[in-house]
Amino acid sequence: MGTKNRYIRDFKLNKLLYLMMLPVLAYYIIFHYIPMYGALIAFKDYSPMKGILGSDWVGLKHFHDFFSSYYFTRILKNTLVISLYSLIFEFPAPILLALLINEVRNRTFKRVAQTITYMPYFISLVVICGIITDFTNADGIINRLFMLFGYDGQAMLQKPELFRPIYILSEIWQRIGWESIIYIAALMSIDQEQYEAARMDGASRLKQIFYITLPGILPTITIMFILRMGNMLNVGFEKIILLYNPVTYNTADVISSFVYRKGLLEFGWSYSSAVGLFNSVVNLALLVTANYISRKVNKSSLW
Amino acid sequence: MKRWVAGSLSIALLGTMLAACSSNNDKNSGSSNTGNNGSNASEQPAEATTYPIKTDKTLSYWGEINGQLIGVKESHKDIPFFQEWQKVTGVPLEFTEPPTGQVKEAFNVMLASGKLPDMVEYNFIGDFPGGPEKAIQDGYIVKLNDLIDKYAPNLKKYLQDNPDIDKMVKTDSGSYYAFPFIRGDEYLRVFQGPIIRKDWLDELGLPVPETIDDWTAALTAFKEKKGAAAPLTFNSKPRFFNDGGNGAFMGAFGVTRGFYQEDGKVVFGPEQAGYKEYLALFRDWYSKGLIDKNIATADTKSVDGNIASGATGASIGNAGGGIGKWQPLVEAKDPKAVLVGAPYPVLKKGDTPKFGQHNTAYASEGTVAITTQAKDPELAVKMLDFGYSVEGGLFFNFGTEGVSYNMKDGYPTYTDLLLKNPDKLAPAQAISLYARGSYNGPFVQDKRYAEQFFALQTQRDAVSTWQKTDAAKYQLPPITPSPEESSEYAAIMNDVNTLIDEMSLKIILGTEPVDAFDKYVEKMKSLNLDRAIEIQQAALDRYNSR
Repeated sequence: MGTKNRYIRDFKLNKLLYLMMLPVLAYYIIFHYIPMYGALIAFKDYSPMKGILGSDWVGLKHFHDFFSSYYFTRILKNTLVISLYSLIFEFPAPILLALLINEVRNRTFKRVAQTITYMPYFISLVVICGIITDFTNADGIINRLFMLFGYDGQAMLQKPELFRPIYILSEIWQRIGWESIIYIAALMSIDQEQYEAARMDGASRLKQIFYITLPGILPTITIMFILRMGNMLNVGFEKIILLYNPVTYNTADVISSFVYRKGLLEFGWSYSSAVGLFNSVVNLALLVTANYISRKVNKSSLW
Repeated sequence: MKRWVAGSLSIALLGTMLAACSSNNDKNSGSSNTGNNGSNASEQPAEATTYPIKTDKTLSYWGEINGQLIGVKESHKDIPFFQEWQKVTGVPLEFTEPPTGQVKEAFNVMLASGKLPDMVEYNFIGDFPGGPEKAIQDGYIVKLNDLIDKYAPNLKKYLQDNPDIDKMVKTDSGSYYAFPFIRGDEYLRVFQGPIIRKDWLDELGLPVPETIDDWTAALTAFKEKKGAAAPLTFNSKPRFFNDGGNGAFMGAFGVTRGFYQEDGKVVFGPEQAGYKEYLALFRDWYSKGLIDKNIATADTKSVDGNIASGATGASIGNAGGGIGKWQPLVEAKDPKAVLVGAPYPVLKKGDTPKFGQHNTAYASEGTVAITTQAKDPELAVKMLDFGYSVEGGLFFNFGTEGVSYNMKDGYPTYTDLLLKNPDKLAPAQAISLYARGSYNGPFVQDKRYAEQFFALQTQRDAVSTWQKTDAAKYQLPPITPSPEESSEYAAIMNDVNTLIDEMSLKIILGTEPVDAFDKYVEKMKSLNLDRAIEIQQAALDRYNSR
């Protein structure tokens, strides 16, 4: 009884706020919740001419096909390994860059460095992959550099063991500047008086970083990390497809590129949806877990 | 929490959202269709259509722009041929063009949207999983038998006169599904093969290679004496066997990359012992630097570059898009340079090559089907039938008289606008602007196009050299699995093809030993390859008993 009254009172008090929330609520219902019924096609043999409801039910057939596929373990492993590598190597990179930029005193240099590092983000992926292919060719610029030191030139994209490093390094190169923006913004909000106090107490700059700066942006890092966990299985297929070839399938073929070959080129709508649904469920589980751990351990979380 | 659930799920469901909007389409299409057929039935049948047709309707047309016109024209409506086509048939068209090279993806998305144009130009055998029968069964395109009977006298007559082609253009159950592209003459069915620098061979005192040993000698000499960094290269995109799969080199060992027939039995090349020998040869060549080091990533751009710079002395290509394109490039660097077509290699001198590129008269590209949502199928049929009439044939092959060709003693002769284009367009590009003779479409291709299109003697010689194979005897006719078996077949072959691409490149590049081949063949078997062969065999048997 009491709670009900409280709700009514709250509603009356904040009428306008609730009204303003309506469009947003409608947006999520119309564009994010209603389309979810489309996920039904993962359990059907979807044919556009029959429509979603008219297509025949096949139960878990598509999931079964996917899990029992000859390549399932390989693509799952590759997806996880590439995700893990980028979590270990790519995720901390922008944080480091933000710290470095923060330490620079010269404002002009700071701005120039920031602009230059985030430029690559705006180059189309297709162009980037063209550049990577050219650079890593047997007679590409990277190999020419190596040749100066007596190595024999080899087409690097034809080496399965080099695929992941190339993928991750180019990823860092392209995204480091862009992703550091959020950390730089977080750095701005740290109270400058803390630094003054630390300097008075004789803390070195390294100590200042460890005891003031890092704890200051830790909540941001945590949030970014949790979000990242929610994307563990989503290694985008565009870059993979532009860079891989049959020799590197072993290390490069991931769930999304497999689904591209199978789903899009074979018109397997239902099959792709089944895999998409599987991905989302796993991602959601990882996200919730990461969030839970983070809430227990350092008290900052998404919800 | 809600937001993130919705967010992550919605990413996965992006694709399905598109589909969701279209669930009620079947009803519309069904009703509009029957309505039209009903009214049409009352009209009188089988009479030659007079062009231009008088109509106030506009039909919609979905089709790819020829690759030659990339960067020249962006849309069908800007291409003179398509403007003129509307004028001569009298039917206004509204075009949609998928991005060139992504036709399959675009077609997929269009189907999923549930909104279909009146006509679609698409390869239903090669690029539609399940083939034409399934496309009809799933309700995308209409069965044309009655419509052709009533409204397409020209096509009907052509098919009656050519029963062997008639057999190819229908499905196992006898349904016509598209207005076919037909290579009207044997001469038009071969256009690809090995290409080599004749001037280098002459300089080195070598003959044009015929056997594999000749080739090894020639490529070695190119590397050692001419300093070629990539003596042999070819396009490996989108697949490694894009240009080499139909028999260049591997044909010498009696196999191709795909299915073929021996004494009425379907055989799959990559599981034969000959394929292993082929891999061993290429591995050897690769380790000796006779094949492009970047072969796994070589695309048309890098092949063009290597040939132009003299890093490459041999490739696999077309008479038009290969020799025709590369000859000016090599000449620019070395005025004496000459590219010629080399015969498909054999093991013993004097043998006839077992395989080589050879298309059947009907290879199902460039065909136009009418969808179940067509507003006026009768009008569409009448319009498409034009390509099979005498005037239509001239128009499709040569364009407009007085503009792109002139009749000289009854021989349609391309004008200089096409062959020596003032805007510096290559003949292949200029022809595609005014006619469709140089590629495909709903018409019968005319030999007289090729006689002029291959402007260089070396091109014409190349075609006759490449023609000397037994490929026609071994190749499969255009067959498709039954709709019921199609998804099973597709699933098997998807995995098998991935395996073969991977195995072939790994063995050639030396990542795995040649003997790994046997292990791979076992894997193919475990992927149920035999079942796929069985399905193909059944399809062939059905075809033979059509």
